[in-house]
Amino acid sequence: MTAELRWVGKNVARRDAFEKATGSAKFASDMFPENLLYVFTLRSKYPHAIIRRIDVSKAVKMPGVVGVYTHRDIPNNRFGVFHKDRPVLCDDRVRYIGDPVALVAAESREEGQEALDAIEVVYEPLPVVTDPVKAMAPSTIKIHDHGNICRQTRITRGNVEEGLSKSYAVVENTYRTPAQIHAYLETEAGISYIDEQGRITVVAGGQSPYRDHHEIVSTLNLPPEKVRVITPHVGGAFGGKDDISVQIHLALVTMKTGRPARLVWTREESTISGPKRHPSIVKMRTGASRDGVLLANDVEIIYDTGAYAGLGPAVLDVAIENCNGPYKIPNIDIKAWLVYTNNHFASAFRGFGAPQVLFAMEQQMDQLAEKLGLDPIEFRLRNALRRGDVAVFGNKLETSVGIVQCLEKARQHPLWRERKTAKQERTPPWIRRGVGVAAAIKGYTLGALPDKGRVALELRMDGGFTVKGSFTEIGQGVVQAIAQLAAELLHTSLDKIEVVFADTGRTPDTSVTSASRQMFLAGNALKDAVAKMVDRMKSAAKILLRREVQSLMLSEEHIITDTGERLDYRVVASVLEESGLGREVVGEFEVPRVDPIPGSLEIPHLFYMFGVALAAVEVNTLTGAVNVTHIVNIADVGKVVNPQTLTGQLEGAAAQAAGYALFEDAKIEDGFLKTTNLSTYLIPSIKDVGVIEAVPVEDYEEAGPLGAKGIGEIGFIPVAPAIANAVYNAVGVRPLTLPMTPERVYWLIKRRI
Amino acid sequence: MGGTHILREFRFRLNGEEVSVKAPPAYTLLEVLRHVMHITGTKDGCSSGDCGACTVLLDGRAVHSCLTLIAQVEGREVITVEGVGENIPAAFAEEGAVQCGYCTPGLVTASAALLKQNPKPTVDEIKEALRGNLCRCTGYVKIIKAVQRASGGV
Amino acid sequence: MLALGDVEVYSPRTVREALEILRRRAGSLRVIAGGTDLVVQLRTGAVRWRELLNIYGLDELRYIKYVDGEVKIGALTDFTTIHESPIVRSTAPVLAQAAFEIGSYQIMNKASIGGNIVNASPAADSLPALYVLEAVLKLENLDGYRMVPVREFYKGYKKLDMGPDELLTEVSYRALGDGWVGEFFKHGLRRGDAIAVVNGAVLLKWNGVERVVEDARVALGAVAPTVVRAVECEKMLRGSSLDERTIRECSEAVLTSISPIDDVRGSAAYRREMCVNYVYMTLWSLARRLGM
Repeated sequence: MTAELRWVGKNVARRDAFEKATGSAKFASDMFPENLLYVFTLRSKYPHAIIRRIDVSKAVKMPGVVGVYTHRDIPNNRFGVFHKDRPVLCDDRVRYIGDPVALVAAESREEGQEALDAIEVVYEPLPVVTDPVKAMAPSTIKIHDHGNICRQTRITRGNVEEGLSKSYAVVENTYRTPAQIHAYLETEAGISYIDEQGRITVVAGGQSPYRDHHEIVSTLNLPPEKVRVITPHVGGAFGGKDDISVQIHLALVTMKTGRPARLVWTREESTISGPKRHPSIVKMRTGASRDGVLLANDVEIIYDTGAYAGLGPAVLDVAIENCNGPYKIPNIDIKAWLVYTNNHFASAFRGFGAPQVLFAMEQQMDQLAEKLGLDPIEFRLRNALRRGDVAVFGNKLETSVGIVQCLEKARQHPLWRERKTAKQERTPPWIRRGVGVAAAIKGYTLGALPDKGRVALELRMDGGFTVKGSFTEIGQGVVQAIAQLAAELLHTSLDKIEVVFADTGRTPDTSVTSASRQMFLAGNALKDAVAKMVDRMKSAAKILLRREVQSLMLSEEHIITDTGERLDYRVVASVLEESGLGREVVGEFEVPRVDPIPGSLEIPHLFYMFGVALAAVEVNTLTGAVNVTHIVNIADVGKVVNPQTLTGQLEGAAAQAAGYALFEDAKIEDGFLKTTNLSTYLIPSIKDVGVIEAVPVEDYEEAGPLGAKGIGEIGFIPVAPAIANAVYNAVGVRPLTLPMTPERVYWLIKRRI
Repeated sequence: MGGTHILREFRFRLNGEEVSVKAPPAYTLLEVLRHVMHITGTKDGCSSGDCGACTVLLDGRAVHSCLTLIAQVEGREVITVEGVGENIPAAFAEEGAVQCGYCTPGLVTASAALLKQNPKPTVDEIKEALRGNLCRCTGYVKIIKAVQRASGGV
Repeated sequence: MLALGDVEVYSPRTVREALEILRRRAGSLRVIAGGTDLVVQLRTGAVRWRELLNIYGLDELRYIKYVDGEVKIGALTDFTTIHESPIVRSTAPVLAQAAFEIGSYQIMNKASIGGNIVNASPAADSLPALYVLEAVLKLENLDGYRMVPVREFYKGYKKLDMGPDELLTEVSYRALGDGWVGEFFKHGLRRGDAIAVVNGAVLLKWNGVERVVEDARVALGAVAPTVVRAVECEKMLRGSSLDERTIRECSEAVLTSISPIDDVRGSAAYRREMCVNYVYMTLWSLARRLGM
C-alpha cells in the first residue's frame, strides 16, 4: 500500500460530534411522539419464584390506564439467540430479580406508576441458587427444565499431564471475577409508533436492528414487512444492548393500542435488569520449561450466566479460545461450564468472555516468569505467536499477528524501562509503587459461526454517494470510519458521502455490531459495493457513449473512462435513473467459512486482535487504595482509519477496564443486587484515571478493508491483569479476585504480614 | 397530562429568554426541560445526582437539574447546553472528545461554568471541576484536551 | 424514579412566612433546602411526603459573617461559598476543606450546610468539621429561637433534637485562635466523588515554644450512628509531642469511641482499621506541618 491515502488514517472530526456536543442529536430517550403512552414494567419481587397468579383487574380500571399486559398477550413467549429460554413477560416463574412480569401503558407517568402498584402477583418463593458450583449439583433446584448446566464442553490437545510433569515451573491458582455492569450513560430506551406505511416501528437503543426485528416478529407473530426497527444514536452499549431490552415490549404496546409508546428504563432498572459481564471462577495449572517455554495449561472455567443463556454459549467459547493467551502451548486441557443461577442475567460485555480468563492467564505468566527468573516481557516474547505459527487448537495463523510488535513497544517504553527506579520513591512512607504488564488476544468477527453482511451504495442525483448498512452507532465511531473508507475507495471528498445506518426499512442487513467486527465486515462489504458500483457505472457510460467501456476510474466529480472521457456523476446518476438500471448496488461480504473444532461453536477465528498494556500503580498500604497513575494501552489494529476514534477507543477501554479492576463491585446477595445506582456502583470519574497513552501498532491485515482490523474490544482485555501484576510488583501480594477494592487489597497486605 | 397533577406557572429566564411554563412544582427542572418542554439537550443519566449528564447553569453555577425542583427555578436564570454557544462544543468535536455523546452536553455546560470562572485552568483544575461528570466511553483523555482547547491554551 | 406530579410545594419568600407555614402544617410537610439529598429520597420513594416547604428562595439565610470572634453562617449557604470564603479559610480551614469533599461542584453549588446537618447522615462530610469546631446551631420557630451545640443535636441515628415547627437558620462557631492546625479526612472508594466509608476531622492546638499539643479535638464520622468525638484519643494527644510512637498509640485509641457497621461500602472491621489509619496519617501529616 504505497499510494498516499487521502482519508484513511486522517484525523477528521467525527461528523456526529458537533451535534452531540450541542445537544441537538436525538437519542431514543429524547423522543416524545405526539399522543404517546408511557410504559412501565412490573418486575419480579423474588430472585426465584413460581408465579401462581397475576391479577391485573384493578390496574386496568385505573384512571389513565390504556392497557395492562402479561404473558397472556404474547403469542410466542420465548426468545433467545442460542436458547429460546427467555420470556417476553414471565409466565411460569421469575428467575432473577429484574425479570419482567407485566407492562402498564398509561397517559401519564403518575398514572402508570399507580397502576403498577395495583397489579397483584402471587408468588411462591423457591430456593435461590447463588453459587454456580452448587448450581451444578444434581440435587439443586433446576432453574430451567434442561438443568442448570446451560453448556459444558471439554477441549484438549496434546497431553496436559505429561506437559506439566515435564515442566520445571508449575503455577496453580483459582481466580474469581464478579459481574460487571455496563453503566452506559443512556439507559435502555425506546419509542414505538405506527408509521405512514402502517408498520409498527420501534426506535430503540440496540446493537442489531435486524436481530431485534426478528425477535419482535417471532414472539408477537407479526408479518416481517409490518415491523420496522431503527437504532438511532445510542448513548453507550459495550455489549449491553446486544440483547433485547425494550424492543418487544414497545412493539407489543403499539400493536395492542395503535398508539405511540415510550419506554425508558430508570438507572435502577438498567443496573438490576440489564445484562452483566459473566462472573467467573477460573482455575489454571500452567507449566513451563526451565528455559521459559510454555509446555502445558490445564484450565477449568465456570461462567455464571444467571437466569438466561443470552449470548453466554458464545461467551464461553471466547473464554475457551483465548484462555491460553497469545502464546504457543502444545498441551492444553480446557474444561468449561456455563451455568444458570438466579443472580442476574449475563450476556455480552466488551471482551465477551476474554477479560476473565486473561485476568487469570496473564498473572499465571508473571508468576511463571518470577519462578524462572525471567523478565516478564522476555518470557512472553519467547512464547508469543507469530504469523504462520500453529495456535493452541491446531489452527494455523495466516492473518495479521501483531503481538510481538506490541510486546516490543511495551519493552521499549520508558514506563517499563524505568520501573525499578520508580519503585524506589517512598513518599509518604506508606505508599508503594509498581509497574505491571499483560498481554491479550481475541478473535474478531464471529469465528466459525456464519458471519456475513451487506452494505448498499447509492449514487445520488446530486452526484454524491450514500452508504447504507445496519451497523449501529454506539459511540465507537463506525459511521465516521465507514464514511472515510467510502471516500477513500470512491476517490471523492468526504462531504460527498452520506451514511444511513441501522434501519430495517432503509438499510440492508450488515448483521450485529459486536465482536469488533463492523469495520472489517462492513468495510469489506463496502469494497464489494464499490466494485459493483463501478460495473454499474460502466453500463451507464455505455449508454452515454454508445460503446463498451472496458474500465473506468473514479475521481472527485467524474468517472474517467479508459479513453479519457469524463462523465460527471450527476449525469451518470440521471442515466441510471432514467434507464431503470438503478442507482443503488448492494455489496456483500462473508467471512471465509471454517469448521468449528469439536466441542466448540466458533473456534477458531481466522482473524485475531492483539494487545499489551502497561500499568503503573501507587498502593496506599494503610488503606489498600490502588491509584493507577499511568496506563499504556498498545494494540495491534491493522490500519488506523481515524486516529482520534482509534485512540479514543483504547483510552476509553483502559478506563473502563480500570473500573473493572478496581472499583466496580456489583454486590449480589441471595439474588438481590445491592449496588443499584451510580452512587453505590462506582465507575471511574475523571479523577480516577491518570495518564492513559494509546499506542496503535499497525500490522497490516490483507483481508481487511485497507488493512484495518477490529478494535472495539482488545483495549479492554489486558488492563486488569496489568494492574494486578503492578500491584504484586508494588506490595508483593497477588490479587486473585476482582475487583481489587481498597478493602480487599488492604486485607491481602495485612494478612501477608 | 392527566391524573391528579398540581399545575403551577413558573417564570424564569432560559438561555437568555423569559419563559413561562406550566408544570407540577415538584417536578425537577430536568423533567420540565425534557418531558414538558421537549428541550432534550440536557440528558437524564441517573436522576440521582451521580452522573452529571443533567448539568445546567443556575444563576451562573453548575447544578444538577435532576435535583432542582422547578419551584426552585422561579425568577432565576437557567442556561442549558443549547445556550452556552458553539466554542466549547466545537472544541469537543475537534479534539475527538465525543464518542456516544450522551455525557457530552453535561460536560459542555460544566466546562462553560469552569471557563467563565477560570479562563485558563490547569489540568488539575479541569479534573476538579469535572469530577461530577461521568463518561463511560472516552476515558476522559480527550475531554481534558477539549477544555484546554476551548480555553485557548493547549 | 417516581414522577411527583401530585406533590404540593410551598415556596415562601421570607423566614417569617416559612415559619408560619411550618407551624400550620407541622408534621405534614418536609422542609427542602438545596434538595440534593431529599429530591433523590422523594423520587426513589424512600420517603413519601405529599407537601414540601421549599426554602431555597430564602436569601436572608445566605451569609457568612464574622462578629466578635464568632463566625455565623446562614443555614442556606452553599458549600462552594463556604469552601471559597476568606472568613472560613482564615478561621476554620478544616471546614473549608470539608466543604470541598461534600461532592462534585454541582452538589457543592446547590447543597446547603443546613440541609447537610438536618439530613443527618452519619457520613455527612460537614459534621466532623462542625464537631471539632464545637459549632452551635440556631433553631427558630414563631416563638423565638434556641441555640443547640451540634454535639447535642443528634440523639441517635437520624434522631434530631428538633421540633416539627422549627427551622435550622444558622450555624456558628468560635473562630480558632493562633496555634490551631487541623485537617479533614475522608476515605472514599474512588478518587472521584464518593460517599465516605469513614471521615473525620482533627484539630490540634500546638505550643510552638514547648513543642507539645496543648489541646486536641478529633471527630469521626460514618463509624457510629452519629458523629463522635474520640475522647480517649484526645486525652492521649494532650501534652504529647507528636512523636511517631504517640501518633500510633493515639490513633489506636480511637477504637474505644466507634461502633461501625457492615454495609454496602465496607465491613465494620475495615472501617475500624481505616479510622485508626486515617487518624494516623492525619496526625503524621500535621506533625510534618509543625516541623516534627
